[in-house]
Parts: sequence; structure tokens; C-alpha cells
Amino acid sequence: MSLLSVDHLSKVFSGKNGDITAVDDVSFSADAGEIFGLLGPNGAGKTTTIRLIATILKPTSGTARVNGHDIFKEPEEVRRSIGMLTTDVGLYDRFTARENLRYFGELYGMQGEALEKRIEELLDLLEMQDFADRRAGKFSTGMKQKVAIARSVIHDPAVIFFDEPTSGLDVLAAQTVVRFMQRAQQMGKLVVLSTHEMHNAEKLCQRVAIIHRGKLVALDSVQAIEQRTGTSLLEEAFLKIVRSDTTQHGSQKPAFQPKRKSIFTAQGIRIREKIFTWWRVVILILALGYVIYQFTMRK
Amino acid sequence: MREIFTVWKKEIQDTLRDRRTLFTAVIMPIFIMPLVLVGSFKLQESQQNTIANQVAVVALSDQSTAPSLTDFLVKQDKIDLQPAPADFQQAIANGTLQAYIDIPADFEPSLASDQPVTLTVYEKSTDTKSATAFQKVQTAILLFNESVAATKLSAADVNPAILHSVTVAANDLATEQERGGYFLGLLLPMFIVIFSIAGGMYIAIDVSAGEKERKTLEAILMAPLSRLKIVSGKFLAVATTAIVSVVFSVASMYAAFKIWPPNLGTALTFDITLGTALLMLGIGVILSVMFAALLLAVGIFAKSFKEAQNYITPFYLLAILPVSIFSSIPGFKPPLALFVVPPLNAVFVFKESLIGETSSSHVLVTLGSLIVASIVSIIIATKIYSKESILFRD
Repeated sequence: MSLLSVDHLSKVFSGKNGDITAVDDVSFSADAGEIFGLLGPNGAGKTTTIRLIATILKPTSGTARVNGHDIFKEPEEVRRSIGMLTTDVGLYDRFTARENLRYFGELYGMQGEALEKRIEELLDLLEMQDFADRRAGKFSTGMKQKVAIARSVIHDPAVIFFDEPTSGLDVLAAQTVVRFMQRAQQMGKLVVLSTHEMHNAEKLCQRVAIIHRGKLVALDSVQAIEQRTGTSLLEEAFLKIVRSDTTQHGSQKPAFQPKRKSIFTAQGIRIREKIFTWWRVVILILALGYVIYQFTMRK
Repeated sequence: MREIFTVWKKEIQDTLRDRRTLFTAVIMPIFIMPLVLVGSFKLQESQQNTIANQVAVVALSDQSTAPSLTDFLVKQDKIDLQPAPADFQQAIANGTLQAYIDIPADFEPSLASDQPVTLTVYEKSTDTKSATAFQKVQTAILLFNESVAATKLSAADVNPAILHSVTVAANDLATEQERGGYFLGLLLPMFIVIFSIAGGMYIAIDVSAGEKERKTLEAILMAPLSRLKIVSGKFLAVATTAIVSVVFSVASMYAAFKIWPPNLGTALTFDITLGTALLMLGIGVILSVMFAALLLAVGIFAKSFKEAQNYITPFYLLAILPVSIFSSIPGFKPPLALFVVPPLNAVFVFKESLIGETSSSHVLVTLGSLIVASIVSIIIATKIYSKESILFRD
């Protein structure tokens, strides 16, 4: 039995413009000690797939098992087995690095001596001692990234998902993330790297799954995929596969619009502020009513 | 249970480090309640005194045409008779003169021949001092009338007492507490309601929409605890802050009344009994719980801090406006049906308690309605928190 097995997973979002199939019958499995690549262009459905496995979203059909636990039957056990790192590093600004880690440790049911020891271990491992007791609000991106890495593995999970972990990071911060992925692999974890940056995938991954418009279009070792497409670079192989998939299935709009406005996407939020004129009108009427009332009651 | 406590503890600790919450939930109620209440009474007190003691600056168009009136006015100690200025309208406009009496040329002859005379008195009603002066002039003229009539009646051998054949002896059945409580009822209940909302407002957004904006939401959803537990911890944290705010406002208000009891010199006592304070505390706490859940629901629904504020502002006004309107309707007796409507019912119960007319059926209906409303609000908040389409809204 694999550490991670995904079995005919699908997710349909019902929106205003009809239903969107974000993940369409995806199956794959991966084992401990490997870095597994989940590749695809933006909006292909990588993040949704990860969220389904992580039980943050509920699948429309299909299922997945993590560390022997089914995502429907034992969602809490699944979450205990998973660590997740995204580029969108959100920390509690008014908490120190240590306090951020402690809170998440407690949420994972850790406490006391064991938790403090684990925090100390991670602070050393990621060289965070210098800023461990400073508030996170003023951290640089690199520092935040380190805290986020530590947070995602505070409970020592068997599977660690990295969702676009290096996009938007400078070289040094990106290097920290890459090194950590390698170290996790050496420690016998399963690392799932979801990205659209092929050079990292090529360097790190043994096997990859390519997702395009919600569908799995390739699943193999990096070498096998390169051989099959007759290229020597994963990037070229990726482009060939994606292009042929597009020509086969017509070039209609992508199955799933990139969730660029999403609260969790790598590029951050674009605040689309609607101007709610209806309530301004309500207030105006109420305020006027109140003024008129006061005016007439007062002699 | 321990997980709920973990979330609660974290949110409280987080909010304690934020000056804004500390300010709205603790500092503001402590200082504003006594300031607003005692301060406004002191102001009213001093205003009443100045109005009573104010000397009206008045001028006659021509003192020589009305020597009897001039003599009479000079004797009034609240009237300062000045020589007529060149331009009386200008003088009233710039405040050097407060009222101006235009005397007709035939004033004394008409008076002597028992003909009615009309005096034109100029005032500026938008100027408080001028308006007060006008009233003083009116009273003085009334007294002058009486004195003229009394003199004439005596001359005709009639007892001038017939001018006061019938008099009124006022006897107010409202007790001092009732009259004082009426004034207190105008302001105080509204502030309790305001603090029960405002105390939890900031933290409610911070733990919900704030978490989306800071992008910590996904990390917390990854943790192996149910969403119900997360939202419970957050709700308890918001409720705690709001309750703290209400406790501080009631306590500081009660203390302020005990330390500086306001005194308007008249037959009004402003006092808050311990019972009233406890009733306010009890209802205020339930009110805070209800608003905490509603604010949290609104906060979770919003995508960003800004949007949450956009929703909460009208929410706040919708809650406060009816309260402020109903609080200021004089002599309004709410029907029993209105005791089902939060937060109006809280205001009505507070008012009744302040004038010493607490009705147990009203209190019970209010408590029942507030508890039901709180439970419904909590259910709404948890339902929203477990809906992925709202949690991951674009």
C-alpha cells in the first residue's frame, strides 16, 4: 500500500456561469522517500487536488488515502499525516516565530516538553534562532518562509505538500526551501511538489504527474517522460504534452480559470472592492429619517 | 475541549497585543461612560445655572416716552437696561444687545386712559442668549402689567388679589428616582448597547476576515481539529472581549455615579441602584454574546478586512439607529411585542429599571428573546464557517 494513493478524484465547482470541473478523475500514487512532482500550468487544478487530499475541500467523487487513512473516513488522521507549505506565507504578525510554531503545535495536539523540544529542533534545523523571539510582523520574506516551513512540519508529518513553494521568493529563500525538500526526502518523507516551474521539478523529482485542465495527462518518471516525447529537458516534454492535449481536445477556454483572485494564490490577493451602494442608500434614508424625526420632535 | 481553549487563548493573546482592541474594549468604556454621563449632567447643570443667572441686556427705543416701564425694568435685577444704540439690529446681531423694546409714542397716555398698548420686542431666536433675554423681558412685562393693574384696582377700591383668584399648586407624582431615571434612560441604555457591539467589533473581523487576508486560514484549516471547534474558540474570544467591554462600561458607570453623584439642584436624583447595574450587566452580557456571533458571521463571510468593515458599518448603524430613535421618544410605552426585538428590548428593560418600574414579564421576554437570538446567531456563524464556498470565496 502506497503512502499516498489518489483514486479517481474529481471536484466540480458550481459557479454562476455553470459548473467547472477543476479536478477530473485524477489517480496516482506515491511512496515514502521520493519527491513527487505535480506539474501543470496555472489553473490546471494542482492546488485543488492538494486541497482535496488535505480534506480542506470535499471531493465531488473519488477518494484518496494518506498513510492508510481514507480522506472521508478519517479526515483528522489524514490531516495529522500531512504538512503543507504554500508561497502565501501567512503568519500571525503579533506573535513571535516561536509562538506561531507553538500555536500550531498545540492545534496538532502537541504540548509541554515534547512541543518545546520539537520547536527547538526546527529552530536549529532551519537556522532561525536569531529571530525566534521576534514578532513575525517585521520578518523578511525569507524569514517568514522559514517559519512557514517549520510550521508545516511541526507535527512531523509523513507527507509534505509544497504548493508553488518558491514562486516570488529570492534566490536565497528559494534555496532554503529546495534544501528542505531534499532533507525531508532523505528523512524518508514523501514530498509532493506542485509547481509550474520545470527546472526545479527536473532537478528534484523522480516521478511526476502532469495535470492539464483538471485531467491527468502524464504520469511517469522524469526520464521516461523525456524519452517518450523525444526531448532531453522536462520543460520541453511538458510543453509538448500540454500542446498535444490542447490540440486533441480543442482550444476552448481552460477548464478551470486560474484562481488569481483567490485568497490563497501565490500572487496574493487583488482586493476587488465592490461598492455596496444599496446599504449606503439604506443608511442615508435612516439617517435622514432620524434627523427629520429629531427636528420635528424638538419644538 | 482543549483545542477550543487553545484557539480561544491564542485569539485573546493576539488581541491583547493589539492596541486597537484594547482601546475599544477596555479604555473607551472605562473613560467614556463616566465622561459622557457625568459630564453631560455637569454641563446641563452649568447651563441651567447660567440661564437662570444670565442678566438680559435690553434697550428701549426711547426711555423718556415710558418712564413708568423704565423705572420698573431698572428695578429688575436680571435685566440690564442700556441706552438705545444707533442701530439695534446690528447690536443684536453682534451680541452687544440681546433684546430691544420698541415703545410707541403714546405709551404713557394710553396706559393712563386704559387703552391697550402693543410693544414690539426684537430678539434673535437662534441666539440662545437673545432668546433667554426675550423670555425675561416677557416675564418682566407680565409683572409690569400686574403691577399697573394692581395699582388701578386699588385706586378703584378693588382688592388686587382678584388678579390671582385661582392659582395652581403643582404636585408631581413622579418620584425623584423616576424623574432622574427618565433623563438617564435617554443616554445610558444606548451606550451599553453600543459597547456590547463595539467591544467585539474589531476582534471579530481580525479572527475571521483578518485570517483570510493574512493567509493563515488555510494553515489553520489544515490542523486536525473540526471547524466547529475552531469557530467555537474564535466565537468565545470575540464574546469574551465584548463581555469585558460591557463589564467595564457598567462598572465604571456605576463607580462614577457613586463617586461624583450629579446634582442639578432641583428635585431630581440621579442614581443607579445595584440591582439596576446588575440587570444591565446580565442583559449586556447576553447582548454581547449575540452580537459576537453575528459579527463573527459577517466577518467570516467577508473576503478581506476592508470588506468586513463595509458590512459591519451598516450592521452597526442598523442596530444603533432604532435604539437611538426609540430611546428619545418621550413617554413612549413599548407594547409587549417590542420586547421580542433585540436590541430594542434591552434598551426598554434598562429604561424601566432606571425609573424603578422593572416588570418581571418584560425582563423574562427580553431574556428569552436574547437567548434565542444568540443561539440562532451562533448557529449561523458555524454554518458559514463550514461552507467551503464561502470560506474560499473569491
